Amino acid sequence: MPADVRALIDRIASALGSEATPERVERVARAVLDARAPSAPGRAPAPVAALPSRPASGATRVVVTAYGLDRPGVLAAVTAELSASGANILDVSQKVLQGYFTLVLMADLSAGTDLGAIRDGLQSRGEALGARVLLQHEELFQAMHRP
Amino acid sequence: MPIELTEVLQTVQMTEADAFDIRTVTLGVSLRGCQSRDPESTRQNVYDRITQTAEHHVAAAEEVERLYGVRIANKRVSITPAALVADGFSPADFVALAETLDRAAREVGVDYLAGFSALVEKGATPGDDALIAALPEALATTERVCASVACGSTSAGINADAVLAVAHAIKGMAERTAGRDSIGCAKFVAFCNAVGDNPFVAGAFHGPSEPGAALNVGISGPGVVLRAVERVGPGADFGAVTDAIKTMAFKITRAGELVGQRVAERLSQRLGREIPFGVVDISLAPTPADRDSVGAVLVAMGLGDVGAPGTTAALAMLNEAVKRGGLMAARHVGGLSGAFMPVSEDQAMIEAAASGHLSLEKLEAMSAICSVGLDMVAIPGATSAETIAGILLDEFAIGMINDKTTAVRILPVVGKGVGEWADYGGLLGRAPVMPVSDVSNVVFARRGGRIPAPIRSLTN
Repeated sequence: MPADVRALIDRIASALGSEATPERVERVARAVLDARAPSAPGRAPAPVAALPSRPASGATRVVVTAYGLDRPGVLAAVTAELSASGANILDVSQKVLQGYFTLVLMADLSAGTDLGAIRDGLQSRGEALGARVLLQHEELFQAMHRP
Repeated sequence: MPIELTEVLQTVQMTEADAFDIRTVTLGVSLRGCQSRDPESTRQNVYDRITQTAEHHVAAAEEVERLYGVRIANKRVSITPAALVADGFSPADFVALAETLDRAAREVGVDYLAGFSALVEKGATPGDDALIAALPEALATTERVCASVACGSTSAGINADAVLAVAHAIKGMAERTAGRDSIGCAKFVAFCNAVGDNPFVAGAFHGPSEPGAALNVGISGPGVVLRAVERVGPGADFGAVTDAIKTMAFKITRAGELVGQRVAERLSQRLGREIPFGVVDISLAPTPADRDSVGAVLVAMGLGDVGAPGTTAALAMLNEAVKRGGLMAARHVGGLSGAFMPVSEDQAMIEAAASGHLSLEKLEAMSAICSVGLDMVAIPGATSAETIAGILLDEFAIGMINDKTTAVRILPVVGKGVGEWADYGGLLGRAPVMPVSDVSNVVFARRGGRIPAPIRSLTN
């Protein structure tokens, strides 16, 4: 296993803490690696992941976006906060360009979860690392980008 | 179908960098049935109706903001035109009613409540006259109440008596708020072809044919459209520019539709009765914030400044492209639905007016093809009521003949002349005092009566 993949798995496992089942770590790691893979020229942009188009019954699907100067620990901070809220992380994409990173993560939360409280938690963790973190209901993206 | 990464990033760019938000969710509240013979009990009925219906409006909107992570800039209330509810009352009673409305707005937590209004397109009742007479005092003694008078329509013609009375009222509002750059006038709009589902303050009111209550949404998005126009670059032809705007208009309208429906649902749950979602008003509404400017979109199309030859055509194209995208995106589009161009609230318009590139006459021409007329235009405080009436008549003639809404929100800033500035702060922004023709129109403005409806009103 290449060293950077090993390091990535360690970071994800540490971020997930007690939630770090082998299956969950593998799913997040695979999503990150897929997103990093260079796409063929002229290919249409890939979906965030091959996810079920609707969240499981009783779940609220959210999109978390973080951006800022590239500093270690943002992915770990975001996933730790989400895990603490009982989120099921479905997919992670991270890109670093000229010293700036963008992280897009999709997760399911239990219905009735206070999104405002989680958003506040994410934002304060992000601010400590110089990153801006957003959390938005997936329905917004469906409405804006799907006929 | 899963969301693509580029789509996520585009939405984030809109909200983070392009000042995209939902400009307003406005709860229209019918006041029918609130009138009694006694002004005091009428005021109590009005207060109770508004505070009971709108009690949860702000909370419902804030809940939806938290859910979707999209800012709803303004939560507002509109009401049945007050003159319909308080007909037969004296001007003093109307001032007291405005104070009641102000108190109700404060109680439900909205920054503006609009609908202190009269519909006098064809003629005025004693109550309409009393409301118009009460306007200067009512707007000077309240903070949150906004007013409007519908002075004409394509089907009725233009009520020139009302226009002159309104012009005098505008002068009165300016004088009563002279210490604050005549800010009273910023809370008043005169209309031709007024609409009853407009969610945008100051001209909002809940029309007589509206249901008991309805939730209408006004979208925003000049910054988003600006980026789309910048992205296609100077080499793109008008068709390509239209396509770029249309695509963005679709997306921001869909966001508005979603937010409106969800606010209406949550409001209904909290209230225990159904509050229907009404319309999305697809007007592009600027703010003084950087890039959130309709004028900047016109400049990005290739003009040296707003007011350059081609400005009217650029605005027409922008307006049409927004409608094409917006109509596809919403079940019911309504309200004013066209680009706004409030001079004091749009950075590019402010600069164009200050540099002399944008004149009152050019604004008048632009109003022929967009949703509002002369909006937040500061003129010298010494301008006569007759001159203001002439400006109103010109705007309303454009609206009447073209079967479209035109409006005037004009500020004769007491004590200030051309080249000086009126500064209101916040969303109302600041405006340079613009020159007005001093050629006399006194005989014309005082002629009175009604300008007959145009031939095109006879469509049956």
